[in-house]
Amino acid sequence: MNQEDQIYGLQQVLLNERGRLLRFLAARGAEDDAEDVFQDLWQRVVAVPIDSIAEPVSYLFRAAENLLRDRRRSNLSRERRQHDWYEARTTAEEVPTGERALIARQRLREVEKVLAALGPRVDRVFRRYRLDGVGQAVIASELGISLSSVEKDLQKAYRALAELKVRLDAE
Amino acid sequence: MSTQAQGVNISEEARRWVIATRDPSFDGWDRLSEWLERDPAHLAAYEAALDADEWAAQLLADAPPPASNVIPLRARRRWFLGAGIAASLLAAVGGWIVFQRLDSGEIVTAPGERRTVQLADGSRIVLNGATVVKLDSDDPRHVELASGEALFDVRHDSSHPFVVMAGSTRLVDAGTVFNVIRDGASLDLAVGHGAVIFEPGPREIRLNAGEALHRSSPQAAPVLRRTNPQAVGGWQAGQLQYENASLDQIARDLGRNTGLEVRAGDGIERMRFTGTLTVTGAPEEVFARVGPLLGVTFAPEGAAWKMMPANGSRP
Repeated sequence: MNQEDQIYGLQQVLLNERGRLLRFLAARGAEDDAEDVFQDLWQRVVAVPIDSIAEPVSYLFRAAENLLRDRRRSNLSRERRQHDWYEARTTAEEVPTGERALIARQRLREVEKVLAALGPRVDRVFRRYRLDGVGQAVIASELGISLSSVEKDLQKAYRALAELKVRLDAE
Repeated sequence: MSTQAQGVNISEEARRWVIATRDPSFDGWDRLSEWLERDPAHLAAYEAALDADEWAAQLLADAPPPASNVIPLRARRRWFLGAGIAASLLAAVGGWIVFQRLDSGEIVTAPGERRTVQLADGSRIVLNGATVVKLDSDDPRHVELASGEALFDVRHDSSHPFVVMAGSTRLVDAGTVFNVIRDGASLDLAVGHGAVIFEPGPREIRLNAGEALHRSSPQAAPVLRRTNPQAVGGWQAGQLQYENASLDQIARDLGRNTGLEVRAGDGIERMRFTGTLTVTGAPEEVFARVGPLLGVTFAPEGAAWKMMPANGSRP
């Protein structure tokens, strides 16, 4: 297969899965942006040769999900920045960077306390999964525990962190 | 079931979806679509769960590893070489993994594409469009900026400094956030936080936050300037801040940030600009917005754009 066929491979998959992907994007709340996101995906997919992708359909869905998360993140930080800008205009002082770093460190300590309180296995499973990007099945075999134990550990960790965030946001 | 209990159950379900989608082998996208479609509260819960997840992960990623998890340097290198690179890139916040490059440890962005990569040590690199960063398989804190622009947010470790190579030029972190542009033969470095040592050795230059350096070619002398430390890496938010900068440099920056080629017309190199440009949105929007500020017009020239002084004459 020559280079051109390889490029078209992934784009062809994208075309074939267009219906499913648009449905997913709509369900994810993209609405009017759904076509836009699809176009974005189309552009990006050109650079990736299909033979390096084990599961092209899954890859495309994950890419769509990542794109949506990117957009959400940049919308949220744009709103936060606009909000901060307005705040800065009306107040004479800004939070000094030293203090911001201090707040971040305190929050980090809270997160680490919560994870530690759940026990070393939950802590390790969470970090291997979320920070190291290792799959649940691999973690299960690494630690010699069942897949369902890994799932439960992750649910405990995510639940505790969600509760922590609610508490800190209220402060 | 009470409404509150229902709410908690939805949150728990949403969290399970967020957990599940993160697994590399996840394949339940249609089922997720179905679940989200069933009730608008599901989407809201999903996004809330996502936000909480990213908040925690960001805090942890910015932190030094806890003492119990510190791995001796030798072992860390092997880990980085194999699963480590894949693992650290899979943990990247937003962005694409170009699979065929993993073996060579090269990260490439297309024009107009941006990507954030989190390294195993907690350092972070944000790549602007058309940028190539190469990782070193023997040393996780040694990277090369082959071309383009990247912001480095480095976790400081004085026993193992983070080094960025731009050609044969060494930039050594001393606990920093710094932005580097490598554009052809020229090199630009701006420090947002901490300090960077430019070419350690007899002629080294130490740059602190708010200082920047531009060297137009390896043979030229570096030119120092002051810059706003808060604005370093501002391109990530689409904000480019300038003080008496020449417009041909701005043309190149516009090109890099829109993903298009922007050519400077005659007379552009004599023009200067002080102020901030917002480069978010579609390229046409950007040109329409910055044109009047810079006193230029933009016209398509084949696949590229040409930037020209607005009136024939210029003060």
